[in-house]
Amino acid sequence: MNKKDVIICRCEDVTLEELHNLMKEGYTSFEEIKRILRVGMGSCQGNTCGQLIQRELANFTNTPINKVVTHKVRPLFAGVKLKSIVKALDDES
Amino acid sequence: MLNTNGVPDKKQIFSRFPDKKYILKPKAITECYEEIPCNPCSTSCPFDAIYIGEDINTAPIVDFEKCTGCGICVYNCPGLAIFIVQELDNENARFKIPYELIPLPIKGETWSGVNRAGEVITKVLIEKVSLTEKQDKTALIQVLVPIEFINDFITIRSKL
Amino acid sequence: MKKIDLVIIGGGPAGLSAAKMAAESGLSSLIIERNFKIGGQLVKQTHMFFGSEKQYAKTRGIDIAKILVNDVLKYSDMIEIMTGTTVVGLYKDKVVTLLKDEKYIKVKTKAIIIATGASEKVLAFEKNDLPGIYGAGAVQTLMNVHGVLPGHNVVMVGSGNIGLIVSYQLIQAGVNVLCVLEASSEIGGYKVHASKLKRLGVDIKTSHSIKKAIGKDYLERIIIGKLDDKWEFIEGSEEELIVDALCISVGLSPLSNLLSMIGTEMKYVSYLGGLVPLIDENYETSIENVFVAGDVCGVEEASSAIVEGYLTGLVVAKKLGYIHPNYDKLYLDFKAQLHNLRSGPFGEKLRRGLEEIMR
Ligand SMILES: Cc1cc2nc3c(=O)[nH]c(=O)nc-3n(C[C@H](O)[C@H](O)[C@H](O)COP(=O)(O)OP(=O)(O)OC[C@H]3O[C@@H](n4cnc5c(N)ncnc54)[C@H](O)[C@@H]3O)c2cc1C
Ligand code: SF4
Ligand code: SF4
Repeated sequence: MNKKDVIICRCEDVTLEELHNLMKEGYTSFEEIKRILRVGMGSCQGNTCGQLIQRELANFTNTPINKVVTHKVRPLFAGVKLKSIVKALDDES
Repeated sequence: MLNTNGVPDKKQIFSRFPDKKYILKPKAITECYEEIPCNPCSTSCPFDAIYIGEDINTAPIVDFEKCTGCGICVYNCPGLAIFIVQELDNENARFKIPYELIPLPIKGETWSGVNRAGEVITKVLIEKVSLTEKQDKTALIQVLVPIEFINDFITIRSKL
Repeated sequence: MKKIDLVIIGGGPAGLSAAKMAAESGLSSLIIERNFKIGGQLVKQTHMFFGSEKQYAKTRGIDIAKILVNDVLKYSDMIEIMTGTTVVGLYKDKVVTLLKDEKYIKVKTKAIIIATGASEKVLAFEKNDLPGIYGAGAVQTLMNVHGVLPGHNVVMVGSGNIGLIVSYQLIQAGVNVLCVLEASSEIGGYKVHASKLKRLGVDIKTSHSIKKAIGKDYLERIIIGKLDDKWEFIEGSEEELIVDALCISVGLSPLSNLLSMIGTEMKYVSYLGGLVPLIDENYETSIENVFVAGDVCGVEEASSAIVEGYLTGLVVAKKLGYIHPNYDKLYLDFKAQLHNLRSGPFGEKLRRGLEEIMR
């Protein structure tokens, strides 16, 4: 399989090759991988890539998939313009 | 095999056909072999001829004494798993099948007859096409099928 | 800040039924739906539904949506609906933040029912991002909501009910479905759906999967192959097919990230599709007055989503002091309906999954 052509996270254009290379370097937690590759930080917020990465991590670390911790989700989970937040604050006061 | 390609085997098919004495009149055949949570065939039959009971996962059983072959269950079945069959004479059987594709056949046309594996097996004559409001977009097609295909015919495909 | 007693996130069958039952009990609510239309998955389902009459079996999904929407509109003085509005944040003090167009809105509430449904799973294979590769749900939206064909020659990956039903709908739309691929050795969905396809001439290839997609700017061909019992491709079994669309239907996973946001106790349960919240018998999560209903707490069916919606609407209303005149009777009825829908062999995995998340 040509891992360069397998897209894992389509929001941030991350390939299976990049993911595997990173795992080989020793980054085997979702949070670490997210900070380096930005997976799960795009417009779908990990809905698409989350499961794929979880499975790759499970295989690589030989852990059952339900034991692989996924990334922490924080508000806001869609792009909100600062302008909109400021406007909301103005309206409140 | 039903589980691997969707085609029921002979034994399964025969298990749903009634005794010969019943089939001289039109009867409903329910090709629904699994226990799935579903019961409109039973609740829609005005003659109380299909039994499912309290547990809606039970597979339907037709009471051929009660079934009049009216065809109401045919268009009420979300699985399109019911058809009506009648042995007319030594030459022909009459089927009523559900149909949800366009173009609809027209009375008098000859169409290909297809078996459960999707293969064309014979020619059939379209006798009647009905699609009332109540049928909610599932047409009922009455077709004349050569008697030797009574256990094989299942649907129609393209006008000849 | 806007204040309302109950916020319902998601206007699918679960959310709509919850709002109706809360209103019947006397409790007002706000439904927030990110789509431009309420109805959830139902607005694209043109086939007749399974289940029993209480959950509108034999009615087409689109028409069930109309029934549920009308039920909600009858209570227009009690149920406020915001469409085109996405919930972007959820906070422990029960503040919900919304984005409508570019407007950022905060809502303070006493109780929340999360009914966000599920999202489609994807597959990792070569060139899996070529235009022409869709999720089955996306294909349904394109075809049945917008009237656009996804392609002319299509292969479906996955023989669960969704894969089988969408294949049938593709044929109804005049599309050539070359085959359905299924990695497992048996068909996943109801056999009545499989038989319906087979008689239309569509092969369901069990122990088969997609190996790679080929194309320069868009999908032109695919390579499929046979799998051994470890789900590895058997060498030499490859076959090339000319297609202009590939439809992926390999399951759904609950859209539960809003729950993770507020630190709800969660568990990964594969039988339920992924990460789901722990719940009690009334679908209340580990955070008081935060409830879930529908696919978000286990991928299932519209029939059960409707009943779970009714149940949570009824229970939340009572917790906030609005008791339905028929509370006891309805409560037992909803419980019985859920039990009945799940008691067959197809409900087995689900029952095991639900057992795992009971608090
Ligand atoms: C092809 C197909 C066939 C099916 N066939 C059947 C069948 O025959 N019988 C049956 O019973 N079931 C069937 N189902 C399943 C059924 O459609 C679902 O189980 C049901 O719709 C789940 O209801 P729900 O309310 O939980 O979620 P959904 O219907 O998915 O609704 C969730 C809603 O929440 C909204 N939402 C999500 N996140 C946010 C957010 N952050 N902010 C605001 N809004 C949000 C979404 O836009 C959506 O409208 C089928 C499904 C598919 C795809
Ligand atoms: S054909 Fe008519 S009488 Fe016979 S089972 Fe169907 S609905 Fe009942
Ligand atoms: S309505 Fe059709 S699919 Fe449902 S139980 Fe009856 S025969 Fe089976």
